[in-house]
Amino acid sequence: MTKKNYIYILLLCIISLVQEFSFSRMTLFNVSADAVTIFLAFMAVTTSQKVNISFGFAAGVLGGLLTGNMGLHMLARTVGSFTAGYFHTPKESHATINQKSKRFYAAVIVAGLCTNAILSAGNDPLGFSPAYRIVVFGLLESLFNLIFAFVVNWLFLRQSLAN
Amino acid sequence: MRKFFTLFVEYSTWLLFVLYCSIGFLFIRLQQDDVQAKLHNEGIEFSAAVNEQLMKFNSLFTLKKENEHLMRVNTDLLSRILTLETANVDERNQRKILADTTLNASGFIMARVVDRKFSDRENMLVIDAGWRKGIKKDMTVLVPEGLVGRVTSVSEHYAKVLPLIHPDFKVIVAADSCQSMGVLSWNGGREFIAQVEHIPISSHIKLNERFVTSDFSTFSIRGIPVGRVVRIKPDNLFYDVDIWLAVDFSTLSQVLIAPLKIEPEKIRIMTDDTVTINKKRP
Repeated sequence: MTKKNYIYILLLCIISLVQEFSFSRMTLFNVSADAVTIFLAFMAVTTSQKVNISFGFAAGVLGGLLTGNMGLHMLARTVGSFTAGYFHTPKESHATINQKSKRFYAAVIVAGLCTNAILSAGNDPLGFSPAYRIVVFGLLESLFNLIFAFVVNWLFLRQSLAN
Repeated sequence: MRKFFTLFVEYSTWLLFVLYCSIGFLFIRLQQDDVQAKLHNEGIEFSAAVNEQLMKFNSLFTLKKENEHLMRVNTDLLSRILTLETANVDERNQRKILADTTLNASGFIMARVVDRKFSDRENMLVIDAGWRKGIKKDMTVLVPEGLVGRVTSVSEHYAKVLPLIHPDFKVIVAADSCQSMGVLSWNGGREFIAQVEHIPISSHIKLNERFVTSDFSTFSIRGIPVGRVVRIKPDNLFYDVDIWLAVDFSTLSQVLIAPLKIEPEKIRIMTDDTVTINKKRP
């Protein structure tokens, strides 16, 4: 494993902890932004789909340990990272920063929708119908994620994406 | 063989995907197993310990509000004690009936709410009392104002509580005056309104009537206030009743845990049909 991968693993741990103890409390309409999905979307664009699945699975294990619902989180994060992996931009593609950013946002939306759909299907803590949970909460979460991703990209990720 | 390896390498991403998904499914299936339960408990321990520290830091800013709340609870308790003492003299004759109640205040355990989540992902409370303090699964959690929920999982120092405002929570309740019974549940929406179903249309239920927990419940002790009736809608056979919950879940900080209601004979007779059949035999 390269040094970069160790840094990514450390980052994943920190982001999972911050998500569980901080972001998950900042809810709007009972929905909060998901920093882990944004991280996985960034990983999807910069690394390969295969590596990203492993990171997704690891994120699921961490999320499961912190919330107590291991299986569901593993499944949701694996599927989310797998779908986000389709937005991978190879280095030899010579894509511009704007093209990479667009693919990053698309990965955030798709991974967010998939993750939310699985977590909503297996978990009903507020008593809404499955359709409502998957569609409304999914769209709301994707919107929050997108705004969050836009800010994060603008502040930190642009340089990494450009590299 | 070479072809196989080529295929293996070519579809390694898909294979990894299937492998990880299978592990996920396996964990979902093993949810009730010991290893999973142990991991689950460790997760709660860690999560609750961090949250406790965060809450401690947070409580510095909300100290004034908490003191006001405690004063209000104390005032309420004092007035209740005074009322009970007066009623005690008047109702001496009913003491024998009250003596057989399952409510034993001395056995109550006090705990602090260290974490609370109310979002589309999680809806639960975590209290800082675990099996070391005598907390067991299915114990009733309450406050002087009313019923809070039920303990669903316990670790060494913490326990997870399924609140009344969770779609999976159900309890049998009875009206204070007419003793009509129904099943209380929360179907989502506003966190201070719950629904009571299966109240027969023949019962004389009124608006603002108080509902308390019934002895029919398998986990809850009887007489815990639940809320007051705010809407009654008659159906063909049953009333559809909305009640305003007695507990304000947004301000919960301290809770009481009632001792476990142990009625093995009652549970046995409810679940086992052979008891009756055997008696019929000569």
